[in-house]
Amino acid sequence: MADESKKGEGSEEEGGEFADFMADISQEIAQRVQSLGPKPKAPPPEPRKTPAAPDAGLITEWPNIADRMIEEMR
Amino acid sequence: MSVVNYGTREITCKIVYYGPGRSGKTTNLQHIYSQLPEERKGKMVSLATETDRTLFFDFLPLDLGTISGFATRFQLYTVPGQVYYAATRKLVLQGVDGVVFVADSQSRQLAENIESLQDLHANLADEGLDPRTLPLVMQYNKRDLPPAEISSIEELDEVLNFRDVPYFSGTAINGGGVFETLRSIASLVLSRLSAPATKES
Repeated sequence: MADESKKGEGSEEEGGEFADFMADISQEIAQRVQSLGPKPKAPPPEPRKTPAAPDAGLITEWPNIADRMIEEMR
Repeated sequence: MSVVNYGTREITCKIVYYGPGRSGKTTNLQHIYSQLPEERKGKMVSLATETDRTLFFDFLPLDLGTISGFATRFQLYTVPGQVYYAATRKLVLQGVDGVVFVADSQSRQLAENIESLQDLHANLADEGLDPRTLPLVMQYNKRDLPPAEISSIEELDEVLNFRDVPYFSGTAINGGGVFETLRSIASLVLSRLSAPATKES
């Protein structure tokens, strides 16, 4: 990483170097904090809807299923 | 390990300046301290011998203020470079998040640089830290000395920087390369920031 090697220019104005450092670091910290931040909670699951009352014409129970099967097969 | 604490909204990172004796570690911290605006100047703790060599360590708390709602602090330490302060170096390395290795560019100091780097690796391993992955930046200091007395950057890099980490020329005595080095290590440390593990009840 030879391009990273820099020779300093000596002290700039009082606090100047520190101000530059702060500017860079603040940006980096802001990004980091954001990426690590607690993930937003997943929305709560929608409440279960009560199943609608079965249509009057719909057969929902078939107690004597074996009899009906035999009947169908005839 | 550096952690973003969302509870207390704090970020704290520990950076240690490592290297052989008289390579310029304390000078790095002194320059940073000199550049701090008055309102951010805390106390730089420096314990030196009568010959001005670092006896125990230097400590510079760098309070960066509130960034993105987080109180951000960098704690900068140096270790004593002299071989006989091995125990202190180990102690200072505890909980380190990143290391700046300050090498002395003088050709006659090359062996000391290598020895110090090996010492760093051994101490990190003793602390349970992986020397191959811990954020590390090299600073080849004292580039202002006569060319005949110093090794070239390429030579130093070849011998010391086998991890191929970012490296910088330094003339810490007049501030050269000091903030570039700090910015680089801070960036590497921040890229490894993690949220604290949640405690299982």
